[in-house]
Amino acid sequence: MKLPIAAVGRSIPRLEAHAKVTGHAAYVHNLSVPGMLIAKVFRSTVAHGRIRSIDVTAARAMLGVFAVYTGEDIRKVIAEPYYGPAFHDQPILALDKVRYAGEPVAVVLAVDTHVAEAAAQLISAEYDELPAVFNEVEAMTSTAVVHEVLKPAGTFADLKHLKNKSGTNIALDFHLRRGDVDKAFATADHVFEHNFRTQQVLHLPLEPFATVAIPEGDRKSGTLTLHSSTQSPSFVRIEIARLLGWPENKVRVKVPYLGGGFGAKVYIKSEALAAACAMLARRPVKFATTMEEQFYMITKHATTLRIKSGVTRDGKITARECEVWWNGGAYADIGPRVTQKSGFTAAGPYEIDNVKIDSYALYTNLPAAGALRGFGIPQLVWAYESHTEMIARELKIDPLAIRRTNLLREGRPQATGTLMRDAALGQVLERLATRMQWDKPLDRGTETLRRGRGIAIGFKASISPTTSMAIVNINADGSCHLYSSTVDMGQGSDTAMAQMVSEVIGVPVQKITVVHPDTDVTPYDMATLGSRSTYHMGHAVKNAAEDARDKLFAMARELGLSAETTPIPDVFKKKYGMQAGNIVGVGSFIPPYTSPDANGQTTDATPFWMIGATGAEVEVDIETGEFKVTRLVNLVDVGKAINPAIVETQISGATIMQLGFTLTEQMNFDAGHVTNASLADYKIPGIRDIPPLMENEAVDANQKSGPFGAKGVGESGTFGVSPAIANAIDDAVGVRLTSLPLTAEAVYRGLRNKAGNPLRND
Amino acid sequence: MAPFELAEPHTLSEAIALLNAGDVPVRAIAGGTALMLMMKAGVFQPARLVSLRRVEACHAEITVMPDGGLSIGAMATLSSLARSAAVKQAAPVITQTLKTLSNVRVRNVATIGGHLAHGDPHMDLPPVLTALGAQVRTLSPVGERTRAVADLYTGYYETVLADNELISEVIVPPQSGSLAAYLKITTRAADDWPTLGIAVSLQMEADIVKAARIVVSAATNTPLRLEVAEQTLLGTTLDAVTLLRCGDAAVSSVELAADAHGSAAYKRELLRVYTQRALRQALAVQL
Amino acid sequence: MSATRTIHFTLNGDPVTAQIGTHQHLVEVLQAQGLTGARESCAQGLCGCCTVLVNDVAVSGCLYLAAFADGADVRTIEYAPAGKLDVVQEAFIECGAFQCGYCTPGFILMTRQLLDAHPDPSEDDIRHYLSGNLCRCAAYPEIIKAVKLAAVKRRG
Repeated sequence: MKLPIAAVGRSIPRLEAHAKVTGHAAYVHNLSVPGMLIAKVFRSTVAHGRIRSIDVTAARAMLGVFAVYTGEDIRKVIAEPYYGPAFHDQPILALDKVRYAGEPVAVVLAVDTHVAEAAAQLISAEYDELPAVFNEVEAMTSTAVVHEVLKPAGTFADLKHLKNKSGTNIALDFHLRRGDVDKAFATADHVFEHNFRTQQVLHLPLEPFATVAIPEGDRKSGTLTLHSSTQSPSFVRIEIARLLGWPENKVRVKVPYLGGGFGAKVYIKSEALAAACAMLARRPVKFATTMEEQFYMITKHATTLRIKSGVTRDGKITARECEVWWNGGAYADIGPRVTQKSGFTAAGPYEIDNVKIDSYALYTNLPAAGALRGFGIPQLVWAYESHTEMIARELKIDPLAIRRTNLLREGRPQATGTLMRDAALGQVLERLATRMQWDKPLDRGTETLRRGRGIAIGFKASISPTTSMAIVNINADGSCHLYSSTVDMGQGSDTAMAQMVSEVIGVPVQKITVVHPDTDVTPYDMATLGSRSTYHMGHAVKNAAEDARDKLFAMARELGLSAETTPIPDVFKKKYGMQAGNIVGVGSFIPPYTSPDANGQTTDATPFWMIGATGAEVEVDIETGEFKVTRLVNLVDVGKAINPAIVETQISGATIMQLGFTLTEQMNFDAGHVTNASLADYKIPGIRDIPPLMENEAVDANQKSGPFGAKGVGESGTFGVSPAIANAIDDAVGVRLTSLPLTAEAVYRGLRNKAGNPLRND
Repeated sequence: MAPFELAEPHTLSEAIALLNAGDVPVRAIAGGTALMLMMKAGVFQPARLVSLRRVEACHAEITVMPDGGLSIGAMATLSSLARSAAVKQAAPVITQTLKTLSNVRVRNVATIGGHLAHGDPHMDLPPVLTALGAQVRTLSPVGERTRAVADLYTGYYETVLADNELISEVIVPPQSGSLAAYLKITTRAADDWPTLGIAVSLQMEADIVKAARIVVSAATNTPLRLEVAEQTLLGTTLDAVTLLRCGDAAVSSVELAADAHGSAAYKRELLRVYTQRALRQALAVQL
Repeated sequence: MSATRTIHFTLNGDPVTAQIGTHQHLVEVLQAQGLTGARESCAQGLCGCCTVLVNDVAVSGCLYLAAFADGADVRTIEYAPAGKLDVVQEAFIECGAFQCGYCTPGFILMTRQLLDAHPDPSEDDIRHYLSGNLCRCAAYPEIIKAVKLAAVKRRG
């Protein structure tokens, strides 16, 4: 019955393509249920302060308002209303004090959005303001302490030592030691040291956060169903059950399509408040944020990075020391994991015998930072690929040559001691060089319009160890259901997973339904994040499909049928006398992983490596500093592509998103207040911002440990973009920028500095 | 947003009468794109809106006047201006400007009257119309008035228009023999509010500049004519030295404000360079 | 004059009567009619997710007072008189011109308008016409391809 349909590796359209082009695809933002109340949040107007009083009288009195709750009300249904994946540090509504401007302080429930909004505007609060800290480096030593006591969640063993620690803003420090950097610096021909900065930015999926919470029964014996725009339904169920003191089976989390996620919707976001409100109100409650409110939900870490290298005169890097300070904002979210996991690779994709890395997750009085398409890697690549280029220029070594000299080779140990396996670093770099025609001279432009080019390459360890489960059901007519809690937020996972089932069972993709996450129905999955699904869930799905196929074959053989040639419906008919019955295959997957020791050393840091490189060509107007990225070439190693067309869209999309973080996006603050919380003033890339030439390529590679040779895709395109463009600007006009975003004004100021005629600062 | 009274009069004079409502907040609404933003943000909560969409159709007409000038009804949408052959022929710089003014959907509903009355210094047409020497006719209970676009603005979102005074028509004088250009400089994304807008208009005789208008916007509280810079051009052939001198004069004659788009010092450099580029572009236009 | 009113309009070919508040925008009223293709996202008319055609003119539904739809012919992405996908929708699928799909209805409606105005658009025409639509998944290169393909299909 297995047809050679070769579903894997084909560029079939997305399963949900028709639903998306007709406007019928379901998103929680569009969901409405009978009797539903709308929640609107009143937010803190100070960055750090003790709450003296909250006045909700006028809001409660407003016609159409069902209820107004504050943090103390939440305690009636959740005794300890603090949540978070790494730390239980985030109150559902502020208790005792507020830690950033924009923090939820009270919530209005009304039958109508307009009424809820108007009522929220009638709430007022008074605070005793406290000294605040905003900068990540200052947070290391600041007397302004964001959390009096640290509250690690207990889920992660390596955070336990932080329990009850007080008087510090350091939520996690990660250290890696390999060889002896001090000795190597002392004997190096050259030592270079540079500082870099990245700005705070955010995800901004066009579908903002949304949860509809529906309580049934009473508070003691009832259940709670959450329809949510989450990337991690299994985690939401566990966390809501923990908050309510319930067993997991009483909380149900359902996820339709997501209008984008990019890491914003991981772990727990809008769910805790919606759940608490529904429990208090005993009515369905919808908490859907506006675009503006996204600026107060979750962001990407601003970072300060210091990097120092010892180098031989011919460009071999002998030692590297990195210090990274991550601005985590007021709540840890998954910041400590970003700090640790990215710490593994902070020294870059190079073979360096002596490495020292110190990485710190800091609390500050800003909106919380979490994971955004790369788990901290784009910030690190920005620093180490700018630094590498600066060394090359100083030593007058070709930028490609210095990378060739130092690049990690297959089977060689990376800074953690883990050997590089199935990591096509060399291949990616060489393909980039070929496509950029690096060996040919570049047209350098005119007197006023100068041209330059730059390259950068980065890599990332996957998030480990994490678990995925899947169920494949073969129906009596030969059609199939795949039950998986992977969330399709646009990356095309439904399609890729269906292609894998199709490949194993030999059923065409059109006959496979991918059942969307529903924790009463679909089995556990850690989350859809960190480019982990194709590999982890892919394995689980493949295992489940193989299990189902093996059972089907066994059943056929038992019935005396040829397993390989009998059509599926005939097997079922013979077994059950009619079109009846089904076969259920299960699969699970957890990759091997060894926790790093005190020096950050481990034999198993990751199940696979993600690799991305970018080449950029720019044109700089030296009269104004304005520049255009005229060409962007993106190379990645994703192993074998399950669906090449969707993979290319992922590479391209990741690259353009990072282009925004490189050129146009920046959260602006005034004393901790976001001053540009809208798409009018926070500029994400539009269609006119796309370089005229964009080329994307996944190199011909194979992840031997991956399902069908595949591995993660979603983040790799982001890695090299920022430093490649900065390197190209340097190449064009000799101006080195060390802070993101790269602006025309910064280039212009650099030109003026070079000319010995600095521009005024007014 | 909270409910309000929505009046939909059929004539402009009825509309003006409805704008008198004593102390409660009342505004006229045409395309409504800018007003809706203010209402959604809670910056403006009307008791009554007076919709102009049902007023006489003549207020949306665009015609070439016998002298070659343009008459544009205040209710003409920006899209109708963008498509208008009359506009393109009489004042091509307006057509050019509309290409990057907001987006298609906004242009489809936003009217030129609303655009001019809003008073946001980042708007594109006020500097262009100022450079072209355009005027507006306004209507109020006091009667009809004619005002120069150049005189409309008194500050950031502030105009000379009374609460019950509506723009009814925009008049662009004949532009024969004149050259004009508008440059919108954005420093963040390609589609953004301008960091700086520069509109220029030149009257040439042979190769000699007889009259010039240079108007800066976006980096100032109102569109502003740079008369000192204009003076440097008169009687010249716009040679390279003159252009440089004009750029310097532009910079020294105006205070620019720093904001999220850039520092004041950087905007001065943009002004210096783009004043010259705008003049060059105007010269390059074939009449 | 009351703050609520009854409006009558044609919605995707069918007559509709709706009770609305004067302060409601068109997208709210369409959602109350059970339509989900027009969505409010940026709330400022910049992203195009709320695109609706009123008398065959594209507007940002989230900035358009529902009261102004009284007597109008309103069409949304759900309008499918032929009961099948049109060439623009086909081209978007063939070129993979979307990921999450949230902005897709807006892009498709604007592409139809673009092709009505420019049957053979240049890349510059496409970029300018669609500059009022945002795609955070950034499927822009694929969207440009899809518009070109749709233009060919329409002419074909």
